[in-house]
Amino acid sequence: MLKINHFSNAILSDINFHLKENENLILLGSNGAGKSTLAKVACGIIYSDKVELFGEKLEHLCAKRRAELINYVPPKLEIFDDYLSLREYLELSRLYSSLSVDEVISILNLDALADKPCKTLSNGEQQLTMLASSILHGAKLTIFDEPTANLDPKKTLQVYEMLKSDVIKNRVIITHDLNLAHKLGYKILSMQEGKIEFFDENKKFFEVSNLEKLFGSSIKHVDGYFAVNL
Amino acid sequence: MKYLFIILSIALLLTAPFFGQIKINLFNIGDMASMDYKLFWDLRLPRVIVAFFTGALLGLSGLIFQSLFRNPMSTPFTLGVASGATLGSAFAIVFGLVTLVPVFGFFGALLTIAILFSITSKLKGYDTSSLLLVGIALSFFYSAALMILFYLSQESQSYEIVRFTMGSLDVVGIRHAVPVIIVSVLLLFMSLRYKNEIKLLLTSYDNAFLKGVEVRKINTILLVSVSIAVGVAVSITGPIGFVGLIVPHILKAIYKKSADKLLLVTFFYSGIFLVGCDLIARNLGTSSDVPIGVITSFLGAPFFIYLIIRREKI
Repeated sequence: MLKINHFSNAILSDINFHLKENENLILLGSNGAGKSTLAKVACGIIYSDKVELFGEKLEHLCAKRRAELINYVPPKLEIFDDYLSLREYLELSRLYSSLSVDEVISILNLDALADKPCKTLSNGEQQLTMLASSILHGAKLTIFDEPTANLDPKKTLQVYEMLKSDVIKNRVIITHDLNLAHKLGYKILSMQEGKIEFFDENKKFFEVSNLEKLFGSSIKHVDGYFAVNL
Repeated sequence: MKYLFIILSIALLLTAPFFGQIKINLFNIGDMASMDYKLFWDLRLPRVIVAFFTGALLGLSGLIFQSLFRNPMSTPFTLGVASGATLGSAFAIVFGLVTLVPVFGFFGALLTIAILFSITSKLKGYDTSSLLLVGIALSFFYSAALMILFYLSQESQSYEIVRFTMGSLDVVGIRHAVPVIIVSVLLLFMSLRYKNEIKLLLTSYDNAFLKGVEVRKINTILLVSVSIAVGVAVSITGPIGFVGLIVPHILKAIYKKSADKLLLVTFFYSGIFLVGCDLIARNLGTSSDVPIGVITSFLGAPFFIYLIIRREKI
């Protein structure tokens, strides 16, 4: 589904992995490890000739086909225009989804915000807006960059439910939240200083010995949940 | 309110050719032998038409540039196209090719576009800001070249060059209006044709890219269209300042809408604005017409500042 063959640049070094059809992925790693850069390479924002999507070379795809195959949801909503409303933004985003804009708005309880300009929304509301946008885009593979950052517990749960559901086809999720990574149970790719340090099944990642190796004593495991050991 | 403005604007447009230093006798404009006929059909009407379409073109160009460059200070002249046209025209004036001034102006503009895009197509990390910087560098280069022409020119030629840079809507005969009409309508057509892409580009370049817009191609198409249109207009009227900078801002402040919804509105009201300014320039009672650039700036700048202050208060 997603294949990167020995890609290197100023931030990443020798990134080489293959994600099979219908395999979802969690992308972990400390700040500055190169997770977002990797995502931008995978979706073509950063040009490379080392990426294959669903068996096709990314650099050979026409723009429309590329948009059908892959989408990237950045950590923050960036909009230049001052007046674009949430609904208009979502209308622009609707490409391959069978759901309508109104359906997605009501699924995510955004009705009250629909006519507000995107720029006036709070961080959390913008996060939900981007999630809604990615559902409407309906790409075969969507990369979410920290989709639960900036969210209150209620909204975190809401996003978690959406990420699990089949309104999104295949997904790669970048996160710092080990509980999210654990509960979703997807394969894990963990990065350190631009390199891949772990790429295997979820279970193997959460083995005590591996966690100790990666995080030392900064993570505590209590009743199936992971917390920062303060 | 909206309709009132449209009606007033159309009324202005229809009556503008009848006002000027010389009174026109309404009953004679059908009489081919009369002075009034010549005055109306050869001078006044072409002038109002050129004013409308030049204003429309400059305003729409400004709106497109400000959107694509994400820079509120962008004007249709930012990429140096107008400087190129000015230099071409000045060249024609200094070397005694006065009848060819518009042709040289247009080639100056075309040459600038060619230089601009051949440089930026070689840049690896293409973005609009490098295009902007190259454009600004070119403008400075042209200014220096213009200085050399000034240095070489005779006094009367220098005056002619200066007069050209002030902008002028003096045209004789309807045929001079035709190129401006064609390019401005084509530009309007292009901008409406790519309206959806413009809308996506107004979110963010990355977002437009992810949604399947060929960002580089669309940018180039729009920038080249604007540049050619501006080149044609400037080679006929000279660089008329402030319309392309201020009118889009004023309309955005009034309408409070995204740029993609203001394409037609900007086209129409920028045209009206220049017709209005020209009407004032022609009727101030001075012995010759006040340069149009003076009026656009004198009217536009204070109103613009008023709008900024008012916006801050809200």
